[in-house]
Amino acid sequence: MFRAILALVLILAAPAVAAPLVYTLDAEDSRVGFKVPFGPDQITGAMPVRSAEITLDFERAARSKVSVSLDVARARANFPFATQAMTGPKVLDAANHPTITFVATEIIAIQGVGAKARMAGDITIRGVTRPVVLDAEVFRPQGSAEGERGRLSVYMTGAVARSDFGATGWSDLVGDEVTLDILVRIDLAE
Amino acid sequence: MSALNTESSFGWVTRAIHWAMALGVIAMLGLGSYIARMEVGMSNLWLFGLHKSIGVVLLALLILRLIWHLASPPPRSLPADTPWKDSAARWVHRSFYVLLIAVPLSGWVGSGASGLDVVIFERFTLPPLAPTSEAWESSAFAVHFVLTKLLALCVVLHVAGALTRRDGTLRRMVRG
Repeated sequence: MFRAILALVLILAAPAVAAPLVYTLDAEDSRVGFKVPFGPDQITGAMPVRSAEITLDFERAARSKVSVSLDVARARANFPFATQAMTGPKVLDAANHPTITFVATEIIAIQGVGAKARMAGDITIRGVTRPVVLDAEVFRPQGSAEGERGRLSVYMTGAVARSDFGATGWSDLVGDEVTLDILVRIDLAE
Repeated sequence: MSALNTESSFGWVTRAIHWAMALGVIAMLGLGSYIARMEVGMSNLWLFGLHKSIGVVLLALLILRLIWHLASPPPRSLPADTPWKDSAARWVHRSFYVLLIAVPLSGWVGSGASGLDVVIFERFTLPPLAPTSEAWESSAFAVHFVLTKLLALCVVLHVAGALTRRDGTLRRMVRG
């Protein structure tokens, strides 16, 4: 549905030697969604993006740079106890670790499928840094012209294991693997 | 029907508190065992809140009972046919008072130490009785676990005593 609304993938139709493009974050419209098993159900929620530095090179994806910082204290789950548990000392410990950061170390465009890329990077949760791989796809707004890059949406998916970061509270009730679906909206810097 | 206790009979206030707590304690022993074993999910999470709510009500009833018995002392136990039964009855009664304070408090301490709000009746947040700490949480719940088993044992002994006596003990707790 999301993909349908946001129209098709960007086609790389820009001039041959374009410089990498610097983008600014639209924090209001960006969020990191998460899901984690909870008995027969799931806990879902979202964490706001605090800041991001994003430079995209549509010709040589490897030259793109992405780093993102998330606001742990403002994360919300689908019911209040889960929010409190998640931000509390036994899971994300927002008081001592107010941000989660992600820094891309390698961005590889996936050939033949438009604006898709695999983005490897380091994610730091609770002060513990571990590698993570996210699948990313770039969209332009519905109705915008092909090659238009002023405002983009980047949709990313991936997963992290709570136990890798010591975020193990309530592991008897709540699953270890947290799946992420991340939507970041960015505007081309002036 | 007198509200006050007399030297030989229980007034309706004492009897009402007794039976309300009897019902509550037995239900809570069952509910506590159930929530400790169930697979927790969205549909049954509220049972933890119910358990806490009833626990706080039982603690309040116990305090009310103690105050009421200062105002209107209950009658002395009827003598049993053998001294050891008198002694057993006395110890079970004393244990009830200790356990009916310590069991809800240990649950409250453990819940608060988990770092989650102790919410009762889906509305009122009780203050935590201990710092957020896994040591406090696991110790308090270990104490809660052991004390509830002792409480269950006391219930069995108390019921067995009441049902086996033929001297009107049970009748005066029912009818005054």
